[in-house]
Amino acid sequence: MIKKNAKVCIVDYGFGNIASIENALNYLKFDYNTLKISVDLSNFSHLILPGVGSFEAGINKLRKSGWESKIKDFVKNGGYLYGICLGMQLLFKYGTNEKTGKVIEGLGFLDGTCKKFFETNETNMPPLPHVGFNQVKHKNTKIWEGINNPSYFYFIHSYRVAYAESLTNCAKTSYGEEFISFVEKFKIFGSQFHPEKSHLTGLNLLRNFFNLK
Amino acid sequence: MKLLKRIIFCLYYKEGFFHLSRNFKLQRVGDVDWLIKNFGFGNTANNIDELIILLVKKNPTEKDFGSFAFDISELRKNIFIPITLGGGIRNAKIAKSFFDNGADKILINSVAYNNKEVIYEIASEYGNQAISVMIDHKKNNNETNLYSECGTKLEKISLQQHLENLSRLSCGEIIINSIDNDGNGSGIDLKILNSINITIGKPILIMGGAGKPEHLSTALSSKKISGVITANLFNFLGEGLKLARNFALKKNIPLAEF
Repeated sequence: MIKKNAKVCIVDYGFGNIASIENALNYLKFDYNTLKISVDLSNFSHLILPGVGSFEAGINKLRKSGWESKIKDFVKNGGYLYGICLGMQLLFKYGTNEKTGKVIEGLGFLDGTCKKFFETNETNMPPLPHVGFNQVKHKNTKIWEGINNPSYFYFIHSYRVAYAESLTNCAKTSYGEEFISFVEKFKIFGSQFHPEKSHLTGLNLLRNFFNLK
Repeated sequence: MKLLKRIIFCLYYKEGFFHLSRNFKLQRVGDVDWLIKNFGFGNTANNIDELIILLVKKNPTEKDFGSFAFDISELRKNIFIPITLGGGIRNAKIAKSFFDNGADKILINSVAYNNKEVIYEIASEYGNQAISVMIDHKKNNNETNLYSECGTKLEKISLQQHLENLSRLSCGEIIINSIDNDGNGSGIDLKILNSINITIGKPILIMGGAGKPEHLSTALSSKKISGVITANLFNFLGEGLKLARNFALKKNIPLAEF
């Protein structure tokens, strides 16, 4: 079987559904390595940062296991990075611990803060977590080639990016409020939704990402 | 924008085979190869929002968990939708093995009655959203009773009280499943929703009794629920789920279009 050009690394820092991402890469026939221990990433062209769970636990694990500096070097050297769910939130400057109110520093590639839904305390807001497929309105950039606008992707989360720098290529979704469901800045990408869980549409988005060069 | 609803399919697994369930009595129908060959399971998943796979055996052994894990990893190779795995989760270690095997969510039932600590332990690692709770109920002399342990153990708590307890626990959505209607294809018991005061702020899903497309649409039109679940293999696999989805869309049920 002929493998395609991209050399993909999946960061396995103990958060997120690694098996599903591997499944998607097998299906799309891209060459990948899943790494549990942080190493120099200069051999890779594309990096996937998965993640499910809390911002604080996630970033602490990335720091403690030495991944933070490796990922930052990778980005500095021009690699393509895609964060999924918590992995996208970690790309931002700040996260919040809802219980303690503490502000936690993220990887800081993008300026913004992650917080729990919703801004208002009104009682008629939709239930949390936000679970299920929802509509994503995107900006038809290269990664979205051949994908309907809007299209449907799978979400499962209670936190979202609450404030962010103005990102011209971000995509939005509404759930009680409009929130950022996808970000794109230079070679940094992230989605609050799970492309690996979003039927063929999600696989197409991932394929487009791995084909970026 | 309207909130989207979900149609979810559930598979019952035991000792290497998938099963039909009727009032919680199981009937063996076929193994993984059978499911993939006869129903093109990868393709079927194109018409549902999520898949639940449950190991339906009381007190499963290491061997049961092992064969479950093996068959699931075969089945999910061509399935790119969210998967919930459940059955026999007594502790965080078993939950972890399900997550490692590709679960996006795990489903608990019995442990939700008596062991809050386990729920907190799993949630602290994977988040609240990753824990679904199933509630099995059955009518005895017009009174709704809850059962755990695959429908064998009567729990001395009302549905309303159990829901209120769950609303304070670190779990995600809640599935209300009727043992009386399980597998009978006669329609979903929506009356149960009237008997409870749902202000718990978590998504509620309903299960048990769907036999045809109309049943799914009727249930989905209830404002109180986020989705409907069916485990009716023969009625809905193959073209069945596609027809049911299109039927619901025609009835203006807000569903994702894949």
